[in-house]
Amino acid sequence: MKLPDKASALQQGVIIFVFLAVLTALEFLIAVAIETIALLAVVAVMKVGLVAYYYMHIHKLGEDAGEDRHSVAYRTATSRLGLWLFLLSDSFVFGGLAVARFNLLGFTRPHLSQVLGLAVTSILLLSSFFMNRAEASMAHDDRKGFGIGMVVTLMLGIAFVAGVLGVEWPTAIAEGVSPSASAGGAIFFMMTGMHALHVITGLVLLGIVWRNGSRGLYSADRHWAVEAAAVYWHFVDVVWIFFYPALYLVGRVA
Amino acid sequence: MQKFLASALARGLAWQLGGWLVGAGMVTGIRLLMGLSPLGLFFFTEPAWVFGGFLGVLAFVAGSRIVDDWTKWAKGEQIPDHRDDPPGWGKYIGVSLDHKVIGIQYTITSLLLLVVGGSFALVFRTELSRSGMQFLSLQWYNTLMSLHGIGMIIGILLGVAGVMNYLVPMLIGAQDMAFPRLNAFSFWIAVPAVVLLLSSLALGGFDTGWTGYPPLSARGPVGTQMFFLGVFTAGWSSILGGLNLIATTLRLRARGMTAFRMPILVWAALATSLITLTATQLIGLSFQLVVFQRLFGMGFFDPAKGGNPVLFQHLFWFYSHPAVYVFVLPGLGVISELLPVFVRKPLYGYRWIAMSSLGIALVGFLVWAHHMFASGMNSYLQVPFMYSTLLVAVPTGVKFFSWVATVWKGKIDMPTPMLFVLGGIVVFLLGGLSGPPNATVATDLHLTDTYFIVGHFHDTIFGGYVFPFFAAIYYWFPKATGRRMDEKLGKLHFWLMTPSFLTLTLLMMRVGLLGMRRRIADYDPALGFDGYHLLMTIAGYLIALSVAIFLFNLFRSIKRGEKAEGNLWNSRSPEWQVSSPMPAHNFDEPIEVVGEPYDYGLAGSQYTRFVQAAQNKDLHS
Amino acid sequence: MRHFIIVGVFIALISPVIYLGIAANNVMPIQASLQALTVDWMWNVDAAAISFLFSLIMVPLIYSLVVFRRRKGDVGDAEHVEGSTRLEVTWTVVPLLVVSVFAYLGAYTLGETRIAAPDALGIGVTAMQWDWRFEYGEGFASNELHLPVNRQAVLRMQSLDVIHSFWVPEFRIKQDVVPGRVTEYRITPVRVGRYKVRCAEMCGVSHSYMERSVIVSSQADYDAWVLEQAAAAAALLAQGGPESGKAIVSQNGCLACHSIDGTALTGPTWRGLYGSSVELSDSSMVAADEAYLIESVANPAAKVVLGFQPGIMPQYSLTESQVNDVVAYLATLK
Repeated sequence: MKLPDKASALQQGVIIFVFLAVLTALEFLIAVAIETIALLAVVAVMKVGLVAYYYMHIHKLGEDAGEDRHSVAYRTATSRLGLWLFLLSDSFVFGGLAVARFNLLGFTRPHLSQVLGLAVTSILLLSSFFMNRAEASMAHDDRKGFGIGMVVTLMLGIAFVAGVLGVEWPTAIAEGVSPSASAGGAIFFMMTGMHALHVITGLVLLGIVWRNGSRGLYSADRHWAVEAAAVYWHFVDVVWIFFYPALYLVGRVA
Repeated sequence: MQKFLASALARGLAWQLGGWLVGAGMVTGIRLLMGLSPLGLFFFTEPAWVFGGFLGVLAFVAGSRIVDDWTKWAKGEQIPDHRDDPPGWGKYIGVSLDHKVIGIQYTITSLLLLVVGGSFALVFRTELSRSGMQFLSLQWYNTLMSLHGIGMIIGILLGVAGVMNYLVPMLIGAQDMAFPRLNAFSFWIAVPAVVLLLSSLALGGFDTGWTGYPPLSARGPVGTQMFFLGVFTAGWSSILGGLNLIATTLRLRARGMTAFRMPILVWAALATSLITLTATQLIGLSFQLVVFQRLFGMGFFDPAKGGNPVLFQHLFWFYSHPAVYVFVLPGLGVISELLPVFVRKPLYGYRWIAMSSLGIALVGFLVWAHHMFASGMNSYLQVPFMYSTLLVAVPTGVKFFSWVATVWKGKIDMPTPMLFVLGGIVVFLLGGLSGPPNATVATDLHLTDTYFIVGHFHDTIFGGYVFPFFAAIYYWFPKATGRRMDEKLGKLHFWLMTPSFLTLTLLMMRVGLLGMRRRIADYDPALGFDGYHLLMTIAGYLIALSVAIFLFNLFRSIKRGEKAEGNLWNSRSPEWQVSSPMPAHNFDEPIEVVGEPYDYGLAGSQYTRFVQAAQNKDLHS
Repeated sequence: MRHFIIVGVFIALISPVIYLGIAANNVMPIQASLQALTVDWMWNVDAAAISFLFSLIMVPLIYSLVVFRRRKGDVGDAEHVEGSTRLEVTWTVVPLLVVSVFAYLGAYTLGETRIAAPDALGIGVTAMQWDWRFEYGEGFASNELHLPVNRQAVLRMQSLDVIHSFWVPEFRIKQDVVPGRVTEYRITPVRVGRYKVRCAEMCGVSHSYMERSVIVSSQADYDAWVLEQAAAAAALLAQGGPESGKAIVSQNGCLACHSIDGTALTGPTWRGLYGSSVELSDSSMVAADEAYLIESVANPAAKVVLGFQPGIMPQYSLTESQVNDVVAYLATLK
């Protein structure tokens, strides 16, 4: 489903981002006003749907790559399947953490800074926007657009990690939400920590892809590494789409 | 010697040791700087051992060079797709990309774990043969018992991986797996995992059994951490191996091999891989949480901090129940695969058997809390889990009925592989039939945590894995080596193992019903179990003897077995249409599927043919 | 056709033989509780099903191996029979229905074992590494569980440390004892006698030996025992001193870890401890005076003796006078 030209590809990226931003704002308002987990879950699923379809191109899994097992197209399709299987597997870790969160805290939540929560969430969503831009650029042989997109994504990713590990964690500890104080604190740190670990590995992958891309290794016809890094990066965003409400929005402060 | 020292195995192990020391040293240094006590009961402190263990695994990966190709790709270098192995045995301790070599590496490692884990059992079974403590300390007993359990489990996972990795590409007419480097990594990561597990012996052992429940596991010796780390690391092998098998099955089948024209073992491998890909993450997570609770006081399962010990059990069993289907689905697939060959009749209800593997895998995800009926979990959960557990009997029943219908009115031969297939059916039947009393809550509250359960799972595991595993080795040994294993020794192995094993497990169930708890080092002589235990120990030794005979047969036959270079069993399956040993690239001439896999008895029917030959025939006709 | 008839006859004959074999073998312990009757009934239903299913598979299998063995000289394949959709649907649907029936019976029997009697006798149970303590409503504790026959008892159970499990095989039902919560166990003994409760969940080094006596007696005998125990406890409490201390340490499981004869178990021995000089884990020396001993009970983690593991000794909720009695007892151990 390759879009006809670069301009519409980039435009689509913007539109989807606007939707995501609006849904995030909606989510925050719902949490403040109505306190119903079902609605929050619906919004989260909608956001994930948008990211999975428009940013992660999940529909590519169904594409026919021909009969020749040795062709580049066929092997890329196999690699694509492999990546998605890996993400399926990884989801189970985060699913398990979410189960643990609700088992330990029920419908209470730790006392965290909403400003910080919204800030890091926005940074991550924005980074997905720029990652999509970078990938769309490469898909149309725009090396410069690719480079800029990658750099901004990397910077935003680093900002996210700094925000969570460098600001949110010390703030939470100062509030009494620490890893060793309570099970609730423990699960908060484990969830954000495991997510941050995936962000950091994502940054490493992005760094490798950016470097190889700037050395001219990729083209519109052959850029599987870019697609793979992008899909992984968006996956990390998808996890946060669930973790953000689970930690910051659902339930009442304990 | 030179060749060994330069091998991935030797280098990896050396680097692992080095990385371990470096990591432990780093933590010790940091502790010194922070003013904390730098040393502990086993020289290093627990955090030092744990971080060191983790770094050791990374060091193993670096030193064995299993990720070399990937690092080259990351640097933007080009790598040739295929890499042929040097001739000789050296490739088995090196990084081969050939699924056949990797399959054998897995299988040998699994046999090694079988022997080690089995030896531990012999030791503690000797202790148990009489009431009172004879020569083991209580701590040693608990450690050997726990390591027997987890050692066997990892051994089974590796054996299952070996069978599937070796066979699936051949069965679907492919040259290799979809991701050969991932395949190599999946095998090699299991080696440092085993080192970690066994290191627990030197670090105080662990007494929890393989289930590792906190709070007990949150407070035991450092060996407990090595157990957690070892299982966590081994889990990667399972997860990535499953990923590879799914991708291979979906993407690399020969032309014409539609879903219901795949050999049945491929269906079994697919169902198994769906489980290993996904559920395994949960044992990793549950163990990780205990590791962090121990290291950083994160009270996930500590009631004093608002934690919940039963949460661990939910997370743990969410993997560990589906895990048992990982253990048995491939073996049940082997049974389905071999029966038609030896009764010369189609596999009865092939499609239903294929679906039953998927059905067992799916329902298997819904039953985990039947391990927790007495745990204090919410009582309203007991009945639904009883229902779902009993439900597994339906697809399992489909397999049994289909096997009987396959054998019925066949023309039956019973060489050694067939004996083990039949033995597997009988033993798995006993295991399966001892299931419903465990599934039913009221009876389970008497049976859980007793030797009845121990008998139940030994029967299901031997019937679903061990017997079919032996069948698979006797059957496919000629494919790997071009020689066959000795028939007389094979039959001796079978006839020694089977009655001993049945005796062992029936007695286990008997004493369990009468009050013998599991995981105990000693029992009250007033219970009157001494005689039974002595018999069980003797049976154990006989089983060990039969395995020794098997191993002798296996290794001797590599060089001195009777030559068998053709289609020894007259099978229709693709791998037997080429010579033995299997050619390096499997099918030099690609094959295509033109018929059904199990049409024995249908005159003139063909399952596969070589594309080149068919094209030539067309050209000349 | 005759194959089917022969097989059918064999199945019909062998199933009951197997069932009778299981039943005649006294596979279960004696039935000492009302719940045991229900559990054993369910077990028997399962055993009947097992016997039938075992024959159903084994008979045709063995029959085939004998009758359909390849004859010498016969080199062909067998008949090309692929399957029968009707048969396959049948052997999927029928087991599904049977499973539903068994699930219903399972739910029914579970409910039976759970019936709560309004006048149930409440007893507190504390499980700890590696002992059992039973707290009776009349204000005393004992390491023996006494129960009156034919009356439901509801045990409310808690653990001081790790997960344990309460099990008397003759009663059948077992129940885990989990730290941080109270688990409930209802049982109606129906047979006077002496039994043993043994921990049924791996709980550490001495798991094998975590057992105590369970004595089921007539209501009259039970009442008499209770009166006697309550009186003795009150007297001991009033008296105080080493005798009271001795009772306290034996009831609270201390002796599972601390010997009085000099052997080092999980914890240091008490023999000669009082007044001695003790080396701690940080290599400092301290006097085992009253203050030290009292602190060691109240806050076990404060000072750990060299060579022993921290974090093992649980927190006990003893009153000040109880702790003083314990220390008085320790002073008598030379």
